[in-house]
Order: sequence, then structure tokens, then C-alpha cells
Amino acid sequence: MGRYVLRRLLQALGTLLLVMFVLHLLTTVAIQLNGSPAQAFFGDRVASPAQIASVEQRFNLDDPCFDQPGNPCLGPFVERLGQYAQGDLGTNLRGREISGIVAAAAPNTMRLFSVVLVTWLALGMLLGSAAARWRGSFGDHGIRLSSVLIDAFPVFVLLVVYRYVVAVPLNRWSEQTFGENSWPPYWFKPSFDSSHPWATIIVPGILLGLAGSAAFIRLVRASQLESYQGDHVRTARSKGLAERRVVLHHVVRNSSVPVVTAVGLAFVEGLGGAVITEGIMNIYGIGGVLWQAVRDDDVGLVIAVVTLLAAVTVVVMIVVDIAYALLDPRIRYE
Amino acid sequence: MALTVAGCSPNDTEPQGGGPVTLETWISQDMETLFPGDAGSYDNISILDVVYDGLVRYDPETTEPYNYVAESIEAGDDNTVWTIKIKPDLTFQNGEPVDAEAFARSWNYTADGDNALYSNYFFGIVEGYDEMQPETDDEGNITTPGAVDELSGLRVIDDLTLEVTLSSPFAGFATMLGYTGFFPIAQECLDDVEACAKQPIGNGPFQVTDWQQSQELTAEKWADYPLDETPDYDAIHWTEYAAGETAGWADFQTGDLDLSFPPTAEVEAAANDPELAERYVERPGSALTFIGFSGYTEGPWNDIEFRKAISMAIDREGIISSLGSGQATPADSWVVPGGVPGGEAGTCEWCTYDPEAAQAALEEAGGWPKGEKLQISLGDDEAEVEYFTAIGNSIEEVLGIPYELNVDPDYFASRSAQGYDGMFRNNWFPDYPLNENYLSFYASGEPGAGHWGWYSKEFEDKLDEAAGARTLDEAVVLYQEAEAILAEEFPTIPFRWSFSATYYSERLDNVTLNPFSGAPILREIEITE
Repeated sequence: MGRYVLRRLLQALGTLLLVMFVLHLLTTVAIQLNGSPAQAFFGDRVASPAQIASVEQRFNLDDPCFDQPGNPCLGPFVERLGQYAQGDLGTNLRGREISGIVAAAAPNTMRLFSVVLVTWLALGMLLGSAAARWRGSFGDHGIRLSSVLIDAFPVFVLLVVYRYVVAVPLNRWSEQTFGENSWPPYWFKPSFDSSHPWATIIVPGILLGLAGSAAFIRLVRASQLESYQGDHVRTARSKGLAERRVVLHHVVRNSSVPVVTAVGLAFVEGLGGAVITEGIMNIYGIGGVLWQAVRDDDVGLVIAVVTLLAAVTVVVMIVVDIAYALLDPRIRYE
Repeated sequence: MALTVAGCSPNDTEPQGGGPVTLETWISQDMETLFPGDAGSYDNISILDVVYDGLVRYDPETTEPYNYVAESIEAGDDNTVWTIKIKPDLTFQNGEPVDAEAFARSWNYTADGDNALYSNYFFGIVEGYDEMQPETDDEGNITTPGAVDELSGLRVIDDLTLEVTLSSPFAGFATMLGYTGFFPIAQECLDDVEACAKQPIGNGPFQVTDWQQSQELTAEKWADYPLDETPDYDAIHWTEYAAGETAGWADFQTGDLDLSFPPTAEVEAAANDPELAERYVERPGSALTFIGFSGYTEGPWNDIEFRKAISMAIDREGIISSLGSGQATPADSWVVPGGVPGGEAGTCEWCTYDPEAAQAALEEAGGWPKGEKLQISLGDDEAEVEYFTAIGNSIEEVLGIPYELNVDPDYFASRSAQGYDGMFRNNWFPDYPLNENYLSFYASGEPGAGHWGWYSKEFEDKLDEAAGARTLDEAVVLYQEAEAILAEEFPTIPFRWSFSATYYSERLDNVTLNPFSGAPILREIEITE
């Protein structure tokens, strides 16, 4: 197991370097083709070459390779790797420390993701298990129908409707009912409030989780149905085990492997949902930071954030693989 | 999370009732600095307006400048040498004196091209500016940094007297002095510019106490503020929004924001709400959106009759009232009417929609080449794309000229590099209230230069004459004459003036908008609770 993890970590390092290099090339080409972002600093004004040059120097865009389309700009890339090796993420195009940006934005995204994850697991496991347990019943049909409905409702519609139609009256109502100095009005704030980060992120998190839960419900249902028909379940039942024990130990646990895989993948894909949720609910998070950085051709920031995300992804994948071994005794890593 | 759900009340740490009275407002999330010489956006300019005091401030009705930190500002005989006397006993929030030295150090630092600050270009009119700029080679790389660090035209005569020598006469110099880039800075600020850009040491009525960049900013009233333009409330809290000015509307509705404006879809509903309508202020803004042509390329647009045809083919009223819920004013002048001294409506003779005259003008210009499309270039902005699609349609309908929109994410760079072929969008947000500020950027110095490849010796001579006028009033009149030359030669087409409006909460009173920036004047607002 130890050697397996070590091998995976080394692979991860290689993946990260590759990701960084590809990103570096893409963003460099963007600058080379679009022209230096320094010009944007001057807006509507006519800037002299000296003014542009000093702004480029201030924002580290003065390397001549940025003016030569096709040049891979290896110099700045190696320089950046050196900085990263020393734990320095550098600054964004406006001279702000990237570590500071990440430190401010990442906790909010983590909060959002944890609410999303809890929502997925709660809805997916509960509804999926119920549908599988009572297959073909009225409840099963109801759950399957709602999962299709959820899928048909795009997450941004859900969020926009919530924010502009539902949140304001709910917030007012809860303020009148529970008083201004109580928690419920905070849960229904239309925007994120950084002084009450958990309270104001629960509802957006649940909505984003809800939107992603449909596939989960179906997956849990399908994989448990398979388990119900398995030989080991028939054996367990014929041994006379209580139904409760059969379900929890033999069905749920055995059907968890695909679910854990899906959690891992969904976590990675969740960033897309995070960009939308963060944008609509005004949450200062990693998704929004990355979105803006790409729009601004902010090479340093894009690479730093994506590298961090790639690192998180790799770690999540390793954790998922280890979880397989814990869940299914047949899987062993040597 | 468990704490949140089960735990104590959200505000136990804050005192109930009797606490500080805080104005709740908003800014956009992309604000990067609060250093006066580097502030160039609507947001940091409006925040610094309550954190710093300038030599002059502007009358909220007429935008005329009046002395504030300055005791007097006197011009020498030909408007080249200016003597500024500063009021005695003023200090920064850290106790340092606000004296001639405080202004000199601020201006020198900003004028130094090596520091690459936003307001650097304002000091181009002061003697010695050129020596402070770095030199570049043909490829635009810096070869030698600026040779000196101080403006030779800046002389501290005594503690409270500053003498400024301009490189050429300028009658409007005193008007410029209220702009953010001319605020003084403390020595402590200069010693650590980075810290000062996050937590400014001002001389105004509020001091920034906390800035969680990209999330929120708080400023509290400075107890020892010596001057009189300060409001009664205790603090201002700005929430930062990623999605722009209308993103906070829902928060306004729940009472979390005191000032806001609805998104397009809700403008109508808000206007029809009788209760809200009482808490609404609006006024025309001073930013001009106009159309320019690539005078540096061959094309029909080099014929003035063609430009007239385009201008008269644009149904400004119709487009503006059908888009953006009418949040703009059709423009028929190059200087904002009523917004700055010398601004008058109607200086543009061909800015009225007149399809027949437009067709006649096109005919006189020799028509539009068959089979070609008129390219209309602009930056990547959804609202503007809507406007310019409407403009293109209006032109196509009246003149039969097919068009294509060129939405260019690198609009600023392309325009600077004279990279367009056809017509393109321009926008001007003035820096200080004088009609000169709307005109001087047309002075390209030589034929074919500048954004539009337009040059007029007569126009530039008139600007020079105005700059040397004996009094500001005379200068304003001469600048109006320069605008008339612009109107005659018609290099650009005025399209629309910005429009400022805001709704305010029940607890606010005396909400007025700055005629110049359109921002609510924070120093005038009263909170009645």
C-alpha cells in the first residue's frame, strides 16, 4: 500500500508539471496574440510608449518573449517553477500576492463544496437507497421522476430564481418571525456575507448540491439494485440475518464503490457549478477568481490557481482509490 | 456549521442599538488600490473622496471648483507659474502635517514614470515631467529609467506655500487640483506605498479601518477631522460585488444595502412601485460614448459628408429608449451640457436623426462601395454590443450599408495601435470638470496620429490660445470655440451621455448625485434612524 501511494504521488507530480506547462503555453500565446494586458491599464487614454513600458515592467510583462508569437517563453516558466519550489506563488497582474487571494477565496469555495457534498450524499444515499429498496413502488417512480425533473432544471435558473424571487420574501418573513438578531434571516440572505460565511452559504450550497444530485440518486439506485440480486445477499438472507443488517452491510457497502468514484469525479466537475454559484450569489471563491483571471489574461494567477486545483484533484483521486480498498476487501494495492 | 445552525445569535459581538450608524453601499470587486496617484476607477475615486481632501473641491450643483485645503491658488501673469497657499494646522490621520511638502512628495512620486502609476499623465503639464520618464527603445522596452525623481517645476517656498511651474500656460490648472491624483500623501505612506495602497493615511473625514480585498471595505469617521464637510453618520461599509452595480439589488430589497439600482429586468417594476419612486434620484452623467473612424486607413469615412450621413442615420432617441430602459441621454455635443463649465447642448449640427438628409449626404460623398461591409469595432461588453447592433441596424436601414460587428476583447490595445478599419466605439469619462478635458485628447500633434488619425492645426492652436487665457472664464469661452472647430470638421460622432440613478433606503435623506461622476455624494447623505 505504501509503495502504491508513493508511486501515485510521483505520477501526480509529473501530471502537475505537465498541466502547468500546457497552461503556461496557452496563456503565453493568448498574450502574444492579444497584445499586452498593460494597455488595458490606460483605458481610454493615449499612453506613451514609456508609460506602457513602465507598466509592463511593474506587472512583470516586460520579457521580450511576450512580444514574439510562437516563442514558448521558457525563461519566465522556469523562473515561476523556481518560485513555486520556494513556496512563493508570486503576484497577479496588479501586483497582489496570489497566496493572499487564494487564502481569501479558497475557504469560501471549500465551504460551498462541503455543503454540496453533504447534500449529494444525503439526497443520493437516502433517495437512491429508498428507490432501490422498494423498487417498482409508487415511491420509486416518484424519486426517478424527480431526478429527471432536477436534471431538466439548469443550476443557474435555480439560483437566479432563488435569489431574485424567493430569497427576498423569505428573508423578510424570517426576520419578522424570528427577529432580526437570529439565524434564519441570515440563511436566506440573497448574497454571501463574509462576516457570516457559513450561514449565508448553506442555501446556495444546497441548491448547487440539489442540481447535481439527480445523477447520484440514479447511480445509487442502480448499483444497489445490482447488489440486491447478488449471491452474497441471497446467502446473507438465507442465513437468517436481519433485513436491516443485510441492507447496511451487504447492499449499501458493496454498492459504494461506484458511488465513491462518482463523488471524486463530481468534485472535480463541481468547479463549473462553483463559478456559476459564486457569481450569482456574490461568493468570493476560487471559481470566480479563475474565471476573472482567464478573462484578464492573468498568466500568473491562472497557472497558480489551476495548479492548486490540479493538486487537489490528484489528491482526491488518490483518496478515492484508497477508499476502494477499504470498502471492497477484494481490492488490494501491492 | 453546527455552531451556525444551533449556536448563539449572529450578532452577539456587536452592540445592539446605540452602535455606530453605518452607511451600507457597494463597489465592484476589481478595485486594486487606494493609493491616490494610482486610483483611476469610479470606485476608488469615490472612496478616496471621503478619505482624502484635495486642494479644491467641486460645487455639487455647478461643478465649479472652490478652495478647500487650499487657502488660495493664484496664477502668475501668463498662467505658467501658480502659487498655492495651504490652510494652516491641517494634519493627516496619523498626525503628520498636511503642508506644501505633503503635496510635493505625492506629485513627485506620481509623476515619476518609473513608478508606473495611473495618474502619471496628469503631471505632463508640469515642468520637468519629461526628465522623470523612462526611455524606451523601438520595441518599447525600457532602456534607461527616468533620470530624476523630482519635478523641476515644483518648489516648496515655505511650509504652506507651493509654487508650480507649468511647461506651457494652462488657465484650467486650479480646476485639475481636486482630482484624486493631486491629493497629498503622508511621509509614512511614501515609506511603504504598498501598505498605504491597502490602508490609506488620509486627511479627509473617514479613515479606512479594514479592507478584505474583493469582499468588503470599512471606513470609520476620523474623530479629529478639522474641516467642516463631513456627514453625521459614523462609518461607511462597502460590499464588493463581482457582477457589477446591479448585483446588489436583492440585498437592497432585504435592507442590507442603502444604495442600489435594479438590473434591467426589474427597472420597470421598480419605477412603478410608488413607495420606491419616492426614494429615487437621477441625473444625466458626464461620460460620452461616441463613434470614431479609422482616419488612418483609406475609406469613404475620410469624407466628411459620409460621416454626416452616418451620424444623421442613427436614431439616437429610438435606440436609447428601447435599450437599457432609457438609462442614457442622446448626445448632440462633445462636452457635457450643464455638467461642466462651458458645456452646451446642440453644438453638433448633424446629430439629429434625419433619414432624408443622411441619404443626401451619402450621395454627395459618393455612396458606399458595393459588396463591402462597414466594420463596427468595439470592446467585449454585452450592453454595448446591444447598442452598437442597434446603431448598425439604424445605419443599414437608412443608408443601405451592410455592417458587421467586430467584438474585440483587446479593444484598447487595437485602438491604440490604429488597428481598425471602419468605425469604432469610444467612450470618454472626464477627469476634472472643465470643457477642456473633453477636447484636449483630440490634439494628436501631427496628421495621421492619435486614435482617429485626425489632425487640425486650427483646433490645436485654439487649445493653446485658451490655455493661455487670462482668466478661467475667458479660457472656457475659447475652449467652446475649439469645440466649434471640432463640430465643423466632425471627426467623431457623439452618441449618448451616461445616466446616473440610484434608489436609496428609507433611512437615508439628502441623497444627491455628483453631477460629474454620477456617484452619490457620500459627504452629503444623512441617515435618519
